[in-house]
Amino acid sequence: MGLPNASGDLSTEVEVDAFRCLFPLRFYKKHLLESIRPDARPLGRARETTIALGAVASANGSALAKIGSTTMLAAVKMEVMTPSLETPDEGCIAIDFHMPPICSPIVRPGRPAEAAPVVAKQLSDTILRHANLNAKSAICYLIFVWIQSLSSSSPLYLLMIIDVVNWVLKQLVMCNYSSGMINLKELSLVSGKAAWMAYLDIYCLDADGALFDTALLSAVAAFSHLEIPVVSLNDDGKIVLSEEQGLSDRVPVNKEKRKINLSSIPFSLTCVLHKNYILADPTAEEESIMDTIVTVVLDSSSQLVSLHKPGGTVLAYTSAIQDCIALTRQRVKELQKILEEAISGMEVD
Amino acid sequence: MAAKLGSAPVTYSPNLGQKTRPPIFKDNDLDWVRPDGRGFHQCRPAFFRTGAVNSASGSAYAELGSTKVIVSVFGPRESKKAMMYSDTGRLNCNVSYTTFATPVRGQGSDHKEFSSMLHKALEGAIMLETFPKTTVDVFALVLESGGSDLPVVISCASLALADAGIMMYDLVAAVSVSCLGKNLVIDPVLEEESYQDGSLMLTCMPSRYEVTQLTFTGEWSTPDINEAMQLCLDACNKLGKVMRTCLKEAASASQE
Repeated sequence: MGLPNASGDLSTEVEVDAFRCLFPLRFYKKHLLESIRPDARPLGRARETTIALGAVASANGSALAKIGSTTMLAAVKMEVMTPSLETPDEGCIAIDFHMPPICSPIVRPGRPAEAAPVVAKQLSDTILRHANLNAKSAICYLIFVWIQSLSSSSPLYLLMIIDVVNWVLKQLVMCNYSSGMINLKELSLVSGKAAWMAYLDIYCLDADGALFDTALLSAVAAFSHLEIPVVSLNDDGKIVLSEEQGLSDRVPVNKEKRKINLSSIPFSLTCVLHKNYILADPTAEEESIMDTIVTVVLDSSSQLVSLHKPGGTVLAYTSAIQDCIALTRQRVKELQKILEEAISGMEVD
Repeated sequence: MAAKLGSAPVTYSPNLGQKTRPPIFKDNDLDWVRPDGRGFHQCRPAFFRTGAVNSASGSAYAELGSTKVIVSVFGPRESKKAMMYSDTGRLNCNVSYTTFATPVRGQGSDHKEFSSMLHKALEGAIMLETFPKTTVDVFALVLESGGSDLPVVISCASLALADAGIMMYDLVAAVSVSCLGKNLVIDPVLEEESYQDGSLMLTCMPSRYEVTQLTFTGEWSTPDINEAMQLCLDACNKLGKVMRTCLKEAASASQE
């Protein structure tokens, strides 16, 4: 490894591996000066990435994503629920992220990993875009309060304004749901009676840094592999599989809705900041030594979905953030290509 | 998380329809075919690969039909602080299932009885005295349950232990047999397990010809037991060879 032998300090006497364990920061510093990383990557390059669709047959859609040796298995299982009264024609997505003890020496059974809830929250924010919903309902509320204070005088005027407010609310709610990755209306089966609940479970099989990136990639791939079963309504008012129950004479409830449309697919890249260096797609070792990370999520049309910098010792300048976004933009193109190849590979089979 | 906003809605799987109970096994009804078209005494093709998880000391992946299992081994590492001093090593096992492993979602997340069975099946094969005061952790995750889960977990775990360089007397191979009416079927799939009358699982060290665990459940006649045990021993022998080749391949690949 690219350690200069000229310097007469301790490093020459100690073996490289021991030096790496004892002085991880100095070990990395020497690499960074040469603009290279211990695994022979340039600073801005992500590790090799693969996607395998249909890894688990017991789920309706599944995918295994690997970035370097970080491995995630995501699977979607579709179940039927009664939609809530507020949203009678919408389904639901429940996202869970698990770090079982097999994935890392740090995780022990019965004691959940610290990172798991953080990644789970980030995932559901990115896939469901709840932040968006909250912001818009806040705006609605503000408009509502403002109009209320205005219109305390005439009751007729008030009625008219309530109409207008209702219209605005409707518009806002509509545009809300069309902006996410998945339109929840597509998950409806019988309005007010039955809708799909999509359980997305992501398991980390091997943890070696960039957990969120890999988890998001596997989740997106699992949804693109998802095939919704054809179902129909039986006599008890329950939704059952069409073939299994011999109800082939019945009209299926969802004949033409077998695939979910994914609009604006989110892709992400995590970078580690250390002094002026930006290291894309860090390994677990790099994440533990240099603790400032920035995660950027862009959608397929390069629009910013989220930007996450959870503290850390390095305070990032705008330019560093811009560099991270530029790196993510490149990475999104790579990931898009890898996902498309995985999908077209499935169609050939 | 949308589900957690309100009270979580009750959901059900659409393919929960009553499974028709399969052919009743009349006397010597040998025309019956197994769901995957195998012969009664034929095992599913076994696939093993070591080194599935890089962050573990040793690991293995096993796939038999649709049963898919990953096992990681960590250690030998420091025992828990609360543990008493022990001059032999400790073995700690845990088996868990993914929520999508079973046909009905979230049926088995933590399998206490599987964990202890795995522990007992491996304990006799490991030279615990070679790592005093420390613990070896064996964690298994069933990615997809397709029947005969525990035997697959046990075989896979012994490969993972070998991959981690833990000293053992021999590899441990495990096979189960289901008794369906008058027929004995080896290496049953999930469907066959659901309507079996009895089952037998045998784990052994093939080259030493020693049994580490033997469990019976259900209804058995003595001649059936003899036949089933012989079937299992033969199958374990063959499985042991497959596992050995997998280890050899991994070793020769790492030498190159």
